[in-house]
Amino acid sequence: MGNCLTGDVAGGKQAIGGVQQRPTSTNNAGQNDAVDFFFRSRGQYPLFSQIELSLSASNLIDRDITSKSDPMAVMYLRKKDGNLEEIGRTEVILNSLNPNWIEKITVSFQFETVQTLVFHVFDVDTRYHNVPVKTLKLKEQDYLGEATCVLSEVMTKPNRSMTLNLHGNFGAGVSRKLGTLSVQAEETIASKTVVEMNLRSVNLDNKDLFSKSDPFLRISRLVENSIVVPVCRTEVVDNNLNPIWKPVCLTMQQFGSKDTPLLIECLDFNTSGNHELIGRTEKSVAELERLCQQREAINFVYPSTSHGRNKVLKGQLIVDRFVEKVQYSFLDYISSGFELNFMVAVDFTASNGDPRTPSSLHYNDPSGRLNSYQKAIVEVGEVIQFYDSDRRFPAWGFGGRTADGHVSHAFNLNGASYGDEVVGVEGIMSAYSSALANVALAGPTLFSHVVDKAAHIASQSLSQNSPKYFVLLIITDGVLTDMAGTIDALVRASDLPLSVLIVGVGNTDFTQMEILDADKGRRLESSTGRVATRDIVQFVPMKDVHSGQVSVVQALLEELPGQFLSYVRCRNINPVGAPAI
Amino acid sequence: MYILTQKQHMIYIRRTDHPRLYTTMTKTLEIDIRSAEGLKLNRRLLKKKTFAVARIGEKSRPSHLDVSGGSSPTWNCKLEMPMSGTEQFIYIEVLFRTSSGREKKIGEAKIPTSDFMGRYSPEGHLNFLSYRLRDEYGDKCGIVNVSIMVKPYSTDEFKSSSTAMKDYGACSSQAAETGLWRPRSEPPAIDGYGGRIVTGVPVWCVLQRPT
Repeated sequence: MGNCLTGDVAGGKQAIGGVQQRPTSTNNAGQNDAVDFFFRSRGQYPLFSQIELSLSASNLIDRDITSKSDPMAVMYLRKKDGNLEEIGRTEVILNSLNPNWIEKITVSFQFETVQTLVFHVFDVDTRYHNVPVKTLKLKEQDYLGEATCVLSEVMTKPNRSMTLNLHGNFGAGVSRKLGTLSVQAEETIASKTVVEMNLRSVNLDNKDLFSKSDPFLRISRLVENSIVVPVCRTEVVDNNLNPIWKPVCLTMQQFGSKDTPLLIECLDFNTSGNHELIGRTEKSVAELERLCQQREAINFVYPSTSHGRNKVLKGQLIVDRFVEKVQYSFLDYISSGFELNFMVAVDFTASNGDPRTPSSLHYNDPSGRLNSYQKAIVEVGEVIQFYDSDRRFPAWGFGGRTADGHVSHAFNLNGASYGDEVVGVEGIMSAYSSALANVALAGPTLFSHVVDKAAHIASQSLSQNSPKYFVLLIITDGVLTDMAGTIDALVRASDLPLSVLIVGVGNTDFTQMEILDADKGRRLESSTGRVATRDIVQFVPMKDVHSGQVSVVQALLEELPGQFLSYVRCRNINPVGAPAI
Repeated sequence: MYILTQKQHMIYIRRTDHPRLYTTMTKTLEIDIRSAEGLKLNRRLLKKKTFAVARIGEKSRPSHLDVSGGSSPTWNCKLEMPMSGTEQFIYIEVLFRTSSGREKKIGEAKIPTSDFMGRYSPEGHLNFLSYRLRDEYGDKCGIVNVSIMVKPYSTDEFKSSSTAMKDYGACSSQAAETGLWRPRSEPPAIDGYGGRIVTGVPVWCVLQRPT
């Protein structure tokens, strides 16, 4: 295919998923997103950071007559419907009012949701002391108290620990001090392990008639029942039967464990998208490490067309370099003092409809039901607020006619002439309701002013050396009037510590939004020829989904830690006070 | 590419926060020519060995040759160059070397100085920038990735800038790490991808390459 190449296939030849050689490049992640959605819809959720929680308590009440209490703690996760799902239990500590439990409870950290943890502390009866804790019936134990916290609240503390007051119901009007529960969180080392490999091949079979093959590698994880989960893909090396690929960087979350078998396929790139298999092999990460240490090569095999043995090829895979290291994770940055600062911009153009009519997207339902704008603010804000210490959020509107009669494309939602910050998500909601009553809907729809405002705030933090990363949420119903101006503003902002989340409400055609979201489109390019340094824009349309399902806003938030890490890592920025790895 | 349905009547006046932009004082730029993507020659993906040249006014500095070849070369070539305060653009050219040793130009990127000295870039901040390359006919022929930092002002620099023809090849290590957002100046250390200097090619800049 070498000499027959026409059209722009450069994007399709880039590496995906595990290659960080060019930190300023954006990979063609659209295919990865499609694959991720495919597997997620079949119950294959991506791996998350694992958190180990250590519990201890102080000054528990004494419920035994002849001895002290024998406490045990049970941890639950509160679901959206209010039910409690048990996550784990500690062991029983005998005869103690200040227990330090040894057993750790493991929970997955999900950045995009609010994970509310509920702890119940029990005094285990003496006759159950030799019974395994898993078989204990909690109704038969003495209840000592209860405490609640949010997991991201713990992770943002400098030492990753929180002390909670136990409370409970012990009769009418009785208010007793039940003691305290301390929660200490630690991220498992395995969550942060990264493997970097230099891979190359020799003597590949030629699949092209009039030129040499254009090989690339695809690495997948093998799950049970022969399900294959693609993990990463190298770049295409043109016209070469002895390719040397750029380094591949895989996280432990991607390959599961060092002994998980990986499928490594070598394919010949075709512009039709129907890539031809050159050869394949199945090896775990541990086996690849041993190949590198012993300087061995492994022969590719080709699956037999009949049901016989695979054909061993003369093409070989070689691991030139294998480095295993632990790198700083998102949670390392957050607990060292980095903050995510939330900003919101609301569309006040006339296409939303008169807020006094029920068909309006800004309708304020007397029954208290939230409209789409309010839902988006709450769903994003309630997650992000835990990562901002002062919870002062800039809030703007755009496309509205303010009290002075001018159409403004970045007016303060709180109505103040100076100072655009409100306090907390409640502050955004009340400023939004107040603005609806004081601002007339107008037009046109312009994003560039609010993006420039956010970029200005982000660049100020650079001058002040603040460890801050900014998240701008734009909620809009319409199509852009100034697409070029918006792209220019986003390209200018792409080198700043800023991410832009766009939520589309209503039923408009959101084709322009898909272009801004580089996951589905190309790298943004401004009118002056400057190309976006990295992908900072995410877009989702906020369709009406049944409550309780995974929100589409969560899909937006899920990518934020990755965007944050791509910013700090390419600049070699470490967590506050941390040495370089 | 994008059809504007309405002319933009609003004139956005950019506020420049840097009064130094109006002086003729020479600044020192730390330029890291990192990589390129999607290099094309006559609309076909390139397979030749390439190098890049940074040009400010009449001065230019080449990178080393990316001997691995192909349309996505990596150079990670760090240069220091002086720049007069009156310059409005700097240029990055990408060239390839033919098998007979001749050098031919693929394309050029025009970088406004306001992109790394403007309102979003405090001095000492490392800017990661990417630009569209265009060939002699104005057609798109790839993307180049660079990082640029305006070295912070110091008294030593003030004295050295008075010597107009001073060569900046001898890089001094004045830029100490003073803040959280001052990353280390070494390019990422990746074995086997630093590139090598081809014998016989004159090198005028101090190449800082990973081991």
